[in-house]
Amino acid sequence: MIDKQLMKLRVRDDISPEEEQALHDAQGQVIDYPADHTFITAGDELNCSTLLLEGILGRYKDLSDGERQITELHVAGDFADLHSFTLKHLDHNVMTLTPAKIVQVPHEKLKRITEQHPHLARVLWFSTNLDAAIHREWEVSLGRRNALQRTAHLFCELQVRLGIVGLATEAEYRLPLTQVQLAECLGLTSVHVNRVLKELRERRLVEFRSARVKIADLAGLRSIAEFDPAFLYLDRRPR
Amino acid sequence: MTHYYLNIINGTGFVGDHEGEEFPDLAAARRKATESVRSILSDELKSAGLIDLKGRIEIADQQGSIVLTLPFREAVELRLDDSSGWEDA
Repeated sequence: MIDKQLMKLRVRDDISPEEEQALHDAQGQVIDYPADHTFITAGDELNCSTLLLEGILGRYKDLSDGERQITELHVAGDFADLHSFTLKHLDHNVMTLTPAKIVQVPHEKLKRITEQHPHLARVLWFSTNLDAAIHREWEVSLGRRNALQRTAHLFCELQVRLGIVGLATEAEYRLPLTQVQLAECLGLTSVHVNRVLKELRERRLVEFRSARVKIADLAGLRSIAEFDPAFLYLDRRPR
Repeated sequence: MTHYYLNIINGTGFVGDHEGEEFPDLAAARRKATESVRSILSDELKSAGLIDLKGRIEIADQQGSIVLTLPFREAVELRLDDSSGWEDA
């Protein structure tokens, strides 16, 4: 059930059979959530972290005008809130953007991992550092990249992240998000996103239609996005 | 809630909205259209130094009828006359 989490970790380091077992043993309740459901609200006291098995989640903050800014997307194999292990409550909300299957990992079990499997604990620490790197990249996008580059960059990021867990090829991947949800990631309106998508399509770089991203020219898409996958730390080494 | 489609017509052509969005009323859809025009214009201004006010957003209902048209011009306030500017203050 945690295959995708293991795929994600094993791209970056070796995970021993004992460590794999420790992750298996840490699993608690499995829950199926519908789409558009906020299951962690800022300030809630938390005693478990959420590992995403299927679907897409978003971390987000509410804005005073009723809009929201999504600050990171999570794909299958990601812990959505490994940071809640040390923070105990979050400064942001976490919601499902599509129907999602998750497994809760009690903080008590994570504590045992830190005590009994220090290397696995370091690899999990790496995961939260990776989330921070993704946040930095979004910060650059939202602050400095124009709408076209920003959108292209997100498509490039998701191609790599979904590719790691076997859900994307260099030519396409499934992305069952609405234009409104994309807009909430990109700090744009869905109308603006729609126009950007048209331009990306007309430049024969990428097409987003019917919940599918079809990449016509990955090199070209990466080039206009100034996408460098280095921030996703794809090198496998002892951590 | 009502489902409206916000289509853009401007220098780059027609961009049809196939997905649409739920709004409490038409006024809310118009506000979103205004916000969208400002978002597009500010992006163009920043990227290309261009202010192209020739476009419009057409708000269509689920039957495809256009229920409201928002010219880009109506989404912004323009001040072009330097003589009444801050220099005289």
